[in-house]
Amino acid sequence: MATQQATVDQLIAAPVARAQVGLWTDAWRRLRRNRLALVSAAYLIALAATALVGIVYTPYPYAHQGVGLPYQGPSAAHLLGTDQAGRDILSRMIIGAQISLIVGLATQTVVVVVGVPLGLVAGYFKGWIDTALSFVISVFYGIPDILVAMILIVIIGKPGLGTIIVAIAATRWMDMARLTRGQTLSLREREFIEASRATGGRSTKILFGHLLPNALGPIIVQATLGIPAAILFEAFLSFLGLGVPPPTPSWGSMAADGIHAMRISPHIVLAPAIGLSITLMAFNFLGDGLRDALDPRQKR
Amino acid sequence: MSGPILEVRDLHTQFYTDDGVVQAVNGVSFDLHEGESLGIVGESGCGKSMTALSIMGLVPEPGRVTGGQIRLRGQDLLRLRPEDMREVRGRDVAMIFQDPLSSLNPVLRNGFQIEEAMLAHKELPRRQALERAVGLLRKVRVPAPEARARDYPFQLSGGMRQRTMIAMGLANDPSVLIADEPTTALDVTVQAQILELLRDLNRELNTAIIMITHNLGVVAGLCSRVLVMYAGQIVEEGPVDEIFEHPQHPYTWALLRSVPRIDALRHDRLRSIEGLPPDLISPPSGCRFHPRCPFRIDRCFREEPPLERIAEGRLAACWVTMERAYAEMGAGQLVDVRPGAGSGVHGLQEERVG
Repeated sequence: MATQQATVDQLIAAPVARAQVGLWTDAWRRLRRNRLALVSAAYLIALAATALVGIVYTPYPYAHQGVGLPYQGPSAAHLLGTDQAGRDILSRMIIGAQISLIVGLATQTVVVVVGVPLGLVAGYFKGWIDTALSFVISVFYGIPDILVAMILIVIIGKPGLGTIIVAIAATRWMDMARLTRGQTLSLREREFIEASRATGGRSTKILFGHLLPNALGPIIVQATLGIPAAILFEAFLSFLGLGVPPPTPSWGSMAADGIHAMRISPHIVLAPAIGLSITLMAFNFLGDGLRDALDPRQKR
Repeated sequence: MSGPILEVRDLHTQFYTDDGVVQAVNGVSFDLHEGESLGIVGESGCGKSMTALSIMGLVPEPGRVTGGQIRLRGQDLLRLRPEDMREVRGRDVAMIFQDPLSSLNPVLRNGFQIEEAMLAHKELPRRQALERAVGLLRKVRVPAPEARARDYPFQLSGGMRQRTMIAMGLANDPSVLIADEPTTALDVTVQAQILELLRDLNRELNTAIIMITHNLGVVAGLCSRVLVMYAGQIVEEGPVDEIFEHPQHPYTWALLRSVPRIDALRHDRLRSIEGLPPDLISPPSGCRFHPRCPFRIDRCFREEPPLERIAEGRLAACWVTMERAYAEMGAGQLVDVRPGAGSGVHGLQEERVG
């Protein structure tokens, strides 16, 4: 009876409480109801935790050859088996996860830091700045991503994580700039922008204080959905041998290592491939969930 | 009374569109005195909002102020550098807009937006700014101002939002507050409250108010003086009650006649103004109202009437009115020396204004 009363109270109180929440609280509430997004978020947190642990502890040293016999399938000693050089695949997967997450997050950070201000400025001031930006974007879209990345890797000439991040970001900043520009173009015509101009607000304040918060939803979604694309691109580059230099493992180079033994020891390819797939899916589900949660038109 | 705080002289604002040059504001001149409340009325597209935006220096693309002066305490705003003009906006001249929901940033808290308006012009610790913001909300009679300052705009009612907008406008104690149709988007009962608030603020703070509206009732309740605009020009100016009782321009008269009245007889037709507002790319010859004017005379087709003093404190731009006014003043007929100009008198005799 008491619980029943409590439920009734909650029901009565619920709509009132709902009217009082802010935009982000509201989005969080909707995200929480998306089970797929939540499971994805949980997986990604677990992955990140594992990668963090990998900094201080892996079952075996990831670069040591011959910690077990080569081409061994999963066993108690090596949970994911060993590769062609007798290295422990689980340990290498953990380090690979570090690489993937760093590449994904760092690339998107660069993309946001470069693309968002460019898009804001171009969309707000229009004129020649906008024309110039649109031209550069078109040029970048015109060149194949892999070509841009390869040229940059060659130009920078110093193989490593930083190079990879810059190269991938160079192929992905346009989407963010274009999205932000589009958002800004429509937002700048809104009355509250004129109203804040009428209070004498400075341009920088209007751009970053008034426009940006309104465009943040789509930007967050775009950034989240860009992470798996960046991770995949890194795996692709590493698969081609353009990625992180060995012996540092990347999921892409691990797959490349095992490809010649696909028939006899498929686990060498499968472990990074499955890890990659699940991680990409998790990021995509989370991104979709964020989009649904942050889209005000889909109030449920 | 001291001199006018705001003097607008021969203001021209034009829009350079693909179809041609739109003369949105065409030679508007008026004064605004300290603490005065001035109404600008006219139908949509008559240039009243553009006059306001010209004063604010916020004429949107592809528009531009092409001529005239806007003097605030003697200083011509049109000659200011952009950064100096930014300082004027919000500090000396503030503006509130029609739709309070779309004029408030949906993702920022109300209090924060008022603080921003303050911080755009002076250095102030955030805590102090918040206190002032709450104080302003209290001044515009928002109940529970501390809580409302923490709310987001969508959590407020229309009236409360407009009060928040007004609080933003008052954040820096401006000497002029321009209100562009501030009550149009609101319920009638709320409209009355907002107007009362503006009237009280006008008295208490001695803030001069320019009230831009198409609603003559709003002007009657708030303003002491009225400008009537048509096709980018001022066609009549005078004290509010005189304009209402004895409109001197046919357009004002037609505008008044098209206002629904609760005390009208059941069978009285509500009269709309015949015809459409003029095309401002190629406005009509002579008086811009002549295609729609029931009192037009020959002269109206050919010559543009100047805005002339027709009685104490009254100005009108109409040949018919002027002829009569001159006759009443005993100043003799306006003499048009050009051939064929004499026929205008007949039109005057047939139909009288007002």
